[in-house]
Amino acid sequence: MAAPLPRSGAVVAARAIAGFVLLLAAHFAVRPLIASRANVDFLLIAILFAAVRVRPGFAAVLGLLAGLAVDALAPGAFGAAALALVAVSFAASRVKAVFFADHVALTGLFVFLGKLVFDALYQAANGGVRGMGLVVQMLLWTPLSAALTAAVAIVLLTMFKPLYRPSA
Amino acid sequence: MARGVRSGSGVSGARLDTGLLLACLALSLVALTMPRRFRDGVAASLRGSVLSPLVALESRAARARAAIESRDDLLASRGRSVTDALNVRAIVDENMTLRRLMGLAARLQDGFVVADLLPRRGVDDDFTLTLNVGSSAGIQRFAPIVTADGLVGMVDRVDVNTAFAITWAHPAFAVSAMSVDNRAFGIVQAHLGSGVERLMLELKGVPFRDKLDSGAVIVSSGMGATYPRGIPVGIVIGELSTPEKWARTYLLMPAVLPASIGPVIVLRAERGARGVNQIWTNVASADSAARAIAAAGDSVSRKAALDELAARRLAQDSAFADSLSRDTLRGPPPSVRAPLTRADSAKADSARRARVDSLRPRVPTVPPTAARSGPPPVREQR
Repeated sequence: MAAPLPRSGAVVAARAIAGFVLLLAAHFAVRPLIASRANVDFLLIAILFAAVRVRPGFAAVLGLLAGLAVDALAPGAFGAAALALVAVSFAASRVKAVFFADHVALTGLFVFLGKLVFDALYQAANGGVRGMGLVVQMLLWTPLSAALTAAVAIVLLTMFKPLYRPSA
Repeated sequence: MARGVRSGSGVSGARLDTGLLLACLALSLVALTMPRRFRDGVAASLRGSVLSPLVALESRAARARAAIESRDDLLASRGRSVTDALNVRAIVDENMTLRRLMGLAARLQDGFVVADLLPRRGVDDDFTLTLNVGSSAGIQRFAPIVTADGLVGMVDRVDVNTAFAITWAHPAFAVSAMSVDNRAFGIVQAHLGSGVERLMLELKGVPFRDKLDSGAVIVSSGMGATYPRGIPVGIVIGELSTPEKWARTYLLMPAVLPASIGPVIVLRAERGARGVNQIWTNVASADSAARAIAAAGDSVSRKAALDELAARRLAQDSAFADSLSRDTLRGPPPSVRAPLTRADSAKADSARRARVDSLRPRVPTVPPTAARSGPPPVREQR
């Protein structure tokens, strides 16, 4: 029986870039169609999936660029998303060995926590929502958004395994 | 677990990571704290350059969502428009029904009571009606109930302020009926079929030689105590096959459809006795009816009809002689005068009706058949 052919780094990198671009496009093309108080954050999924493939420093750079893009399109608090994504992507790259195993549920938990942390940092840096609105946001809408995002991440990981699973 | 694309390793790699993190955090903080003027400028330049494809993508998606939402609004507004249109149509239909009922009331002139239907309650309510008038308004048992379209049924029970009626769909309903041209006679009863056919009527006992075409109008014949002559009962749809070989049975579409029964008119006994010919239809005169009955084969009816016909001919001959002498002196012959009128035996007021096909002179009015009072024939009693 012939052994499987080893994949080159270029192929893996191309797949990772393609997956990232697809999620980036989905963030700006699909999310507006299903926009509600509980959103699916495709960009965060893209950042988390990419962060496990690169060094923490590069993950931070990736988070900075993606955050600046988000801030430029919603310039209410320019830099807040960049700050939150830098922290989340760097942390995700650090703990990837723990969370980003082949276990789908762990991946979902990984995305869920990433979304929670991102929203918490974003709200703290943004400062736009205060008082009861902040409580409702953090206790209701953020967990809902995180759950939705985690569910979508699991679906993507299942359906597009070669693009989003490093071991595939 | 596969390793991704990495560069560097060991202590230098860790330093690089830490340095990049600090640099990114510093840039983020700078962006967060920079003056609004610079912040807006940077954001605008980013949107106009590297982010322009993403901006276009997002705006296109937003337009698509707006189109979907406006489509929902459009459908909702269309639904409201259709609902409003249906309501307007229902009002128009109700107005038309009321106008036709007013027209019928104007033709009847007197001797009737207009009644509204009370909400239905009970098990057998498909075939019964509850009227909001009773004996205090002059309603009596067996009084016929009509609308502008024709016969609805008859009053079955009367209270002081309400009355209960059976419709033509009731199994106990029966009316002696005939074709408008007096060619065929029979008894109309509810068609006890299933499904939609349950709301049909059937004309039974029509002599075999009297074939009716589809679309023939069937009216009450006035034979019996309940229904005066000339009320539309139904329209022939087709012939039903029955085991009876000496008589035909026809399926009728009721003149008054169940859905159109709204306000009704209850005819009082004296109005029924005066007859209602020409109120709905122009039924042929009574001597034609007598001939038809005589031809039907009923020996008793034949004898009475022939007797009546003989008396009519006698009266006609004397009247013809009178008219000849009168017309010779006063004007043109009867054949070139205005259409002549014949008497309707079922009408006490001798309403005139022009007949263009008659060349015979005017005949004297024959007294109407005495209106019977009391319950209808056995079939009609409950």
